Amino acid sequence: MQNAKDTFYVTLQSRLATLNAARTIVVRGVVRPGTLVDENELPSAGVSVDVFRLQWTGLQVNNTELLPLVAMECSIQYATDGSSGCGGMDRGRLLAAMDAELAAALGAEPHMVPKMNYAAAGAGVAATPMGTNVFWADPVFGAATAVDERLERTSTVQVFAYQEAGEL
Amino acid sequence: MASVAPVTRRVRAYFAPVNRSAGVPTLFDAAQLGRFDLHAPPAPWVDLGWVSGFTRKCGTKVDALLAGAPAMTVGQVRTEVEATVSLAFETWGKLQMTLASGSQQTNLLTTAAGATPNGSGGVAAAPVPLLTGTGPASTATSLNVGAAAAAGFSVGSLVAVDVDYTGQLGYVGTGISSAYVQTANAVGGDINYVRRVTLNVGVVVAITAGVLELASALPAGVPAAGMQVSQLVGFCDREGASFFQEWSGLFVMPGAQGDRVLVHYPRLQAMQGSTETEEALAAPLESIRLAGAFRSLPVKDANDGETVLCFRSYLPAVLRGV
Repeated sequence: MQNAKDTFYVTLQSRLATLNAARTIVVRGVVRPGTLVDENELPSAGVSVDVFRLQWTGLQVNNTELLPLVAMECSIQYATDGSSGCGGMDRGRLLAAMDAELAAALGAEPHMVPKMNYAAAGAGVAATPMGTNVFWADPVFGAATAVDERLERTSTVQVFAYQEAGEL
Repeated sequence: MASVAPVTRRVRAYFAPVNRSAGVPTLFDAAQLGRFDLHAPPAPWVDLGWVSGFTRKCGTKVDALLAGAPAMTVGQVRTEVEATVSLAFETWGKLQMTLASGSQQTNLLTTAAGATPNGSGGVAAAPVPLLTGTGPASTATSLNVGAAAAAGFSVGSLVAVDVDYTGQLGYVGTGISSAYVQTANAVGGDINYVRRVTLNVGVVVAITAGVLELASALPAGVPAAGMQVSQLVGFCDREGASFFQEWSGLFVMPGAQGDRVLVHYPRLQAMQGSTETEEALAAPLESIRLAGAFRSLPVKDANDGETVLCFRSYLPAVLRGV
């Protein structure tokens, strides 16, 4: 299942970066594309704004076929305080921009990618393609909520993958 | 790798014309073309986009042959073979309306001044000839009508391009048979009749030096000599009439693992009149979809001479068990 999670994350990060390369975040001094997986980062009580934060929440495994079908719920949270130059009065527009980026990234064809194994991947070592594809349904956008000057929204998307023989 | 059931989001529909005069459908060979790019089907297949509510029904009846006492089933026989398809198109366009209409699908030609009202449009305004020998030759995407005539068009104009009706009988419509004329009297000898029913329509996106540039190529390709251009305001179909639309159909279900299910009906005839389905958005808003239902007519499979109604092909994903 970790391979499917990693594959989906890398795919989404890449698509979002293509749509808006300026959306970045500095994590421990390194500038990275503005898409993170919360469980892969140091725990923090703070909320990073103007980036997409993925959390893997629901999980279902269907064992009726020869390959178990795993359905994972990915919760994508994003928030914005608006820009300081506008006094935060553009936070609605900035949230709408993030809505559009996420919708475009998840809505673009194909809605599937080959599953990759990143276990051995590193500098100069590419990820290893596996035998099945990771695919996903359309995202569901929750209501925007206002917390003081901050606008937040959570979108959920069901991500599917088959557990291949020997894969954990 | 073990095989799994195909998982697909939706079905994509493609249609191709049947040569009605010769009774020859457009056959789809999945062995040669099964992996085609879904967004660029091989000619003459036309991509009609995704459809919803795609339902295939098998009406084939298999009866038992009984013999002996007590009677026992000693064999089976197919007493009736039928296949039908129903779906809803997710877009409205000339071809989608044609397929969903069941009968002739007419173009609402711009009427002549003072024309008597008629349900499918009054007497049409005079058509505009395509120029030859002056300026560039017309192509499938550009129509040279000359500067004077071009002044009567504007960006966004809908146009129909086809030959004049001069008394021809039988199937009419260049490239695609769109109606059947039994007698010249039935169509009132109207020179615009073929343009009234033709599928050779386009949208003007630019006008340059007397040339109408179209958004996409005319289905019948480069206009033939003698064709004229009529403006239209929309499309009209009718419940009733005598004509049956017949098309070759191909429906593709792309699987999430790279597998693909293709269902090919060489001859589909409309089996219902024009109807719509509604999909609620948020009260009181509804999205109206064109509903189509088709009955498959038989063809002979050249490989074994069997008479069949449709072909279902499955292309497995790479390295899957079979």
